[in-house]
Amino acid sequence: MNKPGAFSLSADDATPLVASSERVLTRGDLARASQALSAVMEDAHIARVMVRSDDPFHILRAIDAAHRVGADLFIAHTNLPDAHITAVIEKFGVQMIVGEADSLTSAATGEAPSSHIFMMTSGTTGAPKIASHSLTALMSRARAAMHPGNRNAKWLLTYQPTGFAGVQVQLTAVVGHGVIVAPQQRTPSGFLEAAKATGVTQISATPTFWRAFLMVVRPGDLALRQITLGGEAADQPTLDRIRKAFPDARVTHIYASTEAGVVFSVHDGREGFPAEWLDSETQGVSMRVRDGFLHIRTPNAMGGYVTETAQPRLDDGWLATADRVEVRGDRAYIVGRDDSTINVAGSKVYPLMVEQFLLRQTGVVEAYVYGVSNPISGQLVAADVVIEPGLDPAATRSAILAACRENLAQYQVPRAFKVVDAILVRESGKKG
Amino acid sequence: MTEAQVLEQITSIVQRMLEDKGLKGASIEPGTELLGGAIAIDSLDLAMLVRELEDVVGHDPFADGFIEFRTVGELAKLYAK
Repeated sequence: MNKPGAFSLSADDATPLVASSERVLTRGDLARASQALSAVMEDAHIARVMVRSDDPFHILRAIDAAHRVGADLFIAHTNLPDAHITAVIEKFGVQMIVGEADSLTSAATGEAPSSHIFMMTSGTTGAPKIASHSLTALMSRARAAMHPGNRNAKWLLTYQPTGFAGVQVQLTAVVGHGVIVAPQQRTPSGFLEAAKATGVTQISATPTFWRAFLMVVRPGDLALRQITLGGEAADQPTLDRIRKAFPDARVTHIYASTEAGVVFSVHDGREGFPAEWLDSETQGVSMRVRDGFLHIRTPNAMGGYVTETAQPRLDDGWLATADRVEVRGDRAYIVGRDDSTINVAGSKVYPLMVEQFLLRQTGVVEAYVYGVSNPISGQLVAADVVIEPGLDPAATRSAILAACRENLAQYQVPRAFKVVDAILVRESGKKG
Repeated sequence: MTEAQVLEQITSIVQRMLEDKGLKGASIEPGTELLGGAIAIDSLDLAMLVRELEDVVGHDPFADGFIEFRTVGELAKLYAK
């Protein structure tokens, strides 16, 4: 006899839960499917299971079933090379894969399970880092997001479904008796069509996603109640454009880190966060700035990485993030991450800072800043920008470059500068 | 690419850099010192010039370490084959 599922669903609940253009699955469908899966897992004595699918139904089915039998669950990205997945299966003794078709592996059993959920980072190179989370902490974060406006809502799943933010959106929808809308076509127009067809009310996405989405959405297309920006620092021009396009929606930007979980939300529509939150406790989180970096202390911190050492947790219990913070007046701003700096002849450039400068220039709708190497200065700043349709590329380019030379330090000025049609967006919803 | 062809490439890249700065084109001769003040580029423009030359010429003369150069002609020689 196994425990109830993670979500305490009832098999005869006909409330919709996962919707796409092809089908709608109900809470009852999930209850029955996870009950069946947990029975199979119990029979086969499965202690570790992996879900490898972008379908929210399979991800939730695996979370619910793993909870019923007390198994560890690995949530794997579908776009990771098979070799990385095989390595994880062997290293941790994963005995079963859940997806379109569930299957058993030949891996030897590992240590006893600890009922944890293991999620992978979306790093672009090398083996993924694996972070351990407890379902209790994940669910308590989802419940914390449950203000009245988030109940009975329809959520557009813009994030990679297997990533931390994507899982969090799915759990929030389950907790709030909402519907998860997951389009097959993960492009701005694919997302818009699915959102219109299903009457989506909440969209949580990266600022990069929003800038692309604003290029396809038209006034009156969607009646959004909640708009959330996360995964990257939200910039003022993007916040202002969202506010103008959706004047009736509540707009929230969140600072989140995989290590710490969702740390805090900002609702006033201004980039950054109130400086008074530093050196005090806000939303159950304490923050401070040391040597220019944000330190945080939270009860929701994840269990740590299982593949390598976590970010340094300091002796006094604080977590040192790689996020650099600047305080200007009554506001604190995230200006960049120390692990993404461009080293130009010994000077550090934060790509985020240059991107935010470019996004403030007239006619710029998206900007991507990166380093290019050379034998003289080590690296140089390069920028790709997307401009508003109808503008003269040559004139706009000159105007932006002139503004850069006037306002940025010479080592921060993009020396390679291209006006492009589109900027590649990764599965995580971030640029690059 | 011959030395003359590389010189042509250098001239066209430098002229575009100057245009980007809103400056008029400069006269560029083999003896012109790159950072000597006759042409309004800085050391980071020079870094970009070297990077772009590698792309158009197809090889990197600095692959085994940095080589000193001062003039446009000396730089062209490094890339010519």
